[in-house]
Amino acid sequence: MTIDSNRRAFLRHGTAAVAAALLPVTLVDVAQARGVEPFTFAVLSDAHLQQMRGAEFVRSWDRGLRRAIAEVNLLTPAPDFVVFGGDLAHAGRRDELDHGAELLSALRAPVRHVVGEHDYYLDLGNAWSQLFGAQWYSFDHKGVHFIVLNSVLTDAAWMDAYSARPRERMEAVIGLGQAGAPAFQVGDAQRAWLAQDLRVVSKPTPIVVLSHAPLQRLYRGWNFWTEDSDAVHALLRPFDRVTVIYGHVHQLQYSRVGNITFFSAMSTAWPYPYPESYAQAVDVLPTLSIPENRADPFFERDGAGWQFINLASVKTELYYNLYNNPARSVIVNAHGDPEDTTYAAAAGRVPSQQHY
Amino acid sequence: MWRPDLYLNRPSILLAWLLSGAGGVCVAAPLGLPPVPVPADNPITEIKVALGEKLFRDPRFSRTGAVSCSTCHEPAKAFTDSPLETSEGVNHLSGTRNAPTLANVAYFKQMFWDGRARDLEDQSRHPFVNPVEMGLADRAPIIALVRTDPDYVRMFREAFSKEPAEIGMQEIMKAIATFERTLLFGDSPFDRWYYSGERGALSEAAQRGFKVFMEDGRCQSCHTIEPAYALFTDNRFHNIGVGIQRVERDLSRIQSAWLTARARGINVDKSVLSSGTSAELGRFVISEALDDIGAFKTPTLRNVAVTPPYMHDGSLQTLREVVDFYDHGGVPDATDPVSDFVSGGIRPLHLTDEQLADLVAFLESLTSPAFAGLATATKGP
Amino acid sequence: MKTGCRKAILAGVIVATALASPAAAADPFSAEDVAHWQSQFMDVVQTGRALWVDPKLGANNVTCGQCHPNAADTHPETYPKFQKQLGRVVLLWEMINWCLRNPLEGRAMAPDDARLIALQAYMTYERRGTALDPGKH
Repeated sequence: MTIDSNRRAFLRHGTAAVAAALLPVTLVDVAQARGVEPFTFAVLSDAHLQQMRGAEFVRSWDRGLRRAIAEVNLLTPAPDFVVFGGDLAHAGRRDELDHGAELLSALRAPVRHVVGEHDYYLDLGNAWSQLFGAQWYSFDHKGVHFIVLNSVLTDAAWMDAYSARPRERMEAVIGLGQAGAPAFQVGDAQRAWLAQDLRVVSKPTPIVVLSHAPLQRLYRGWNFWTEDSDAVHALLRPFDRVTVIYGHVHQLQYSRVGNITFFSAMSTAWPYPYPESYAQAVDVLPTLSIPENRADPFFERDGAGWQFINLASVKTELYYNLYNNPARSVIVNAHGDPEDTTYAAAAGRVPSQQHY
Repeated sequence: MWRPDLYLNRPSILLAWLLSGAGGVCVAAPLGLPPVPVPADNPITEIKVALGEKLFRDPRFSRTGAVSCSTCHEPAKAFTDSPLETSEGVNHLSGTRNAPTLANVAYFKQMFWDGRARDLEDQSRHPFVNPVEMGLADRAPIIALVRTDPDYVRMFREAFSKEPAEIGMQEIMKAIATFERTLLFGDSPFDRWYYSGERGALSEAAQRGFKVFMEDGRCQSCHTIEPAYALFTDNRFHNIGVGIQRVERDLSRIQSAWLTARARGINVDKSVLSSGTSAELGRFVISEALDDIGAFKTPTLRNVAVTPPYMHDGSLQTLREVVDFYDHGGVPDATDPVSDFVSGGIRPLHLTDEQLADLVAFLESLTSPAFAGLATATKGP
Repeated sequence: MKTGCRKAILAGVIVATALASPAAAADPFSAEDVAHWQSQFMDVVQTGRALWVDPKLGANNVTCGQCHPNAADTHPETYPKFQKQLGRVVLLWEMINWCLRNPLEGRAMAPDDARLIALQAYMTYERRGTALDPGKH
């Protein structure tokens, strides 16, 4: 298949596979391929299925997840697998997790799960693990090493304080900006496991880390935060190319720290404001990203969505499919920085991105 | 025959036209509507309007000599072919679309239910060669006719200062579009009540219905009413649940087949009127965005009471069925499952029976005086 | 500290007395008054904060704080303005009611409802220090 970075040029080749594959993705130049077959995977995240009573769940979040699943199932060729980025449940309830598992079973591709704090803090991941398995693990796929982390743990002292009060423990993390919320971390035990896991991975192997929390220290006030991110980065530094994909923030973010490129995954339920928009916030790390277009709350789930990643050997492209909002495509450019393909030039920006 | 008094509300406009001669005229809008956008390269002149109307009504531009624009957009029926669900062209061949009214069509930013034509000029050239509309093999017969028919020759010369050999589709499209740009209808009972302050213009029920429209009904966001005027359309495309059920189960294959066909240069206009499945993809056939699957353009609600049936496929017969459809969250029956592709703007409304009836009363107040005598679609529970 | 406090109050009293001549008397409030009124206001702000994260505010358990943590992106400093969702120029409380009826699937409140006032107090307090920008979309 001839690859061309221009989607329209791709159309002219006219094969059915090409036409179908162009649906959300621009395939990038693999002339520099180093033995890695290009493949795609989808990421759905932060469904926040929220139980009202009994079998009644908040309709809007349900529809957001349903739509994402229906759209992912349209992709032809199908993605190799789907990642669910965490926070499937909103209050960590068994009913919410079961409901989510049932909805996700409609996905045709296999699913890999990441745990989020909304899944974890009610019963310390017990129900979640029964449904979805290990909270941290790794796997290899077509020459890429995937690592899944539980990045929403916290220190033992905080946990002990709530050990007999699971409901309150959950309440303490359920909202943003709450006093007494713990700082999330990967933790010593998991970092030790990570070091072991990476021992057998060669330097040129592309690595993708799937995490719920950002694995960066972005804004402590809203727990867009990984306390031990420096230590995690240090473990990943020896490798040529690392991509971190995280949920949790419900907004478009992408950045780069040395050899690590970070991409956020959107929520299928609702978008969060950017931390910079909170007037009383201090020490906010500004995102390099061009913000998503402002949402109109009349259209439920405007600014929510899901994403589709094309992982070629050198460049990565992440296509954000947003509900009621223009799709966004972020590609790693020649300098190794993630760049929005549509709005990178300042002249191309639109008022929707500036009227926050 | 051109009847400006039938179509214009202000005698001053007619006077302006008569005085303008060959120059362009800025058409003032009726009560409740903003000024009409007119492209710089196609100013409105009286002769061009008359020429456009003549072309609009001429059935000779069809394979059977029986179909003109006015066949589906009959002026006496508020420029629709009510009560047909989907329009019929040559030999009564049926397409897939319900003919939208051309009253106030000038305010749209794209034409057709899926916006596949970028303006009135562009829109006018497609039906001539669509097999289920006028059915011509190509446009040569149209051009031949306007270059030889003495009335057309005279009118084209006067409108465009061009001799027959210079007349082509460009001039034909411009004339038709110009005529359509003058089809402005406001001044409904709602307009008089809301913009002129005529307290008695709207019934109590319609006034309550206006409140439903603006609040619990959630209508205003797409069918816009603003302090200065009411277009009743946001000029956007939304999947509100109509028709998507017919293709949802097989959607993967259908959209994939469409993308392949389009990459190979298939004619979009012909496909959407002949293929029941492609037709239901809606705006997606143009934008190829997942968000646009099954999405159709928000139509105006002006004169809605006299232009049944409703929706892009004519599937809803009465206004009560329409408001019930929205009340159920985008399905005809409350127990039907809602498609996964329905817009986030659509959701169950939990309106009371009285609110629904009041909403219908409000919609019935949007009829302009020119069409006040037409039968309304008020049947229903 | 106590001495200083007493000195301050004394100073305030002296100043107040000096100004108490009939020609200059206006609104003779003291630092104590200000502190008292401020705390009354902060109580309402706290109430607003509690409502902000209360699942019972609407009818579907969704809270304001889910989409607007710390009232971010509510922009009280831009009202009155043309609100697209309402099709006209409105005040902040009218948009709060829109949110109560739409994303929260609940009921609107009367403009003088104590809860509505508390919500506005909280939102504006979280936005303190921001310049007014009325009409900004």
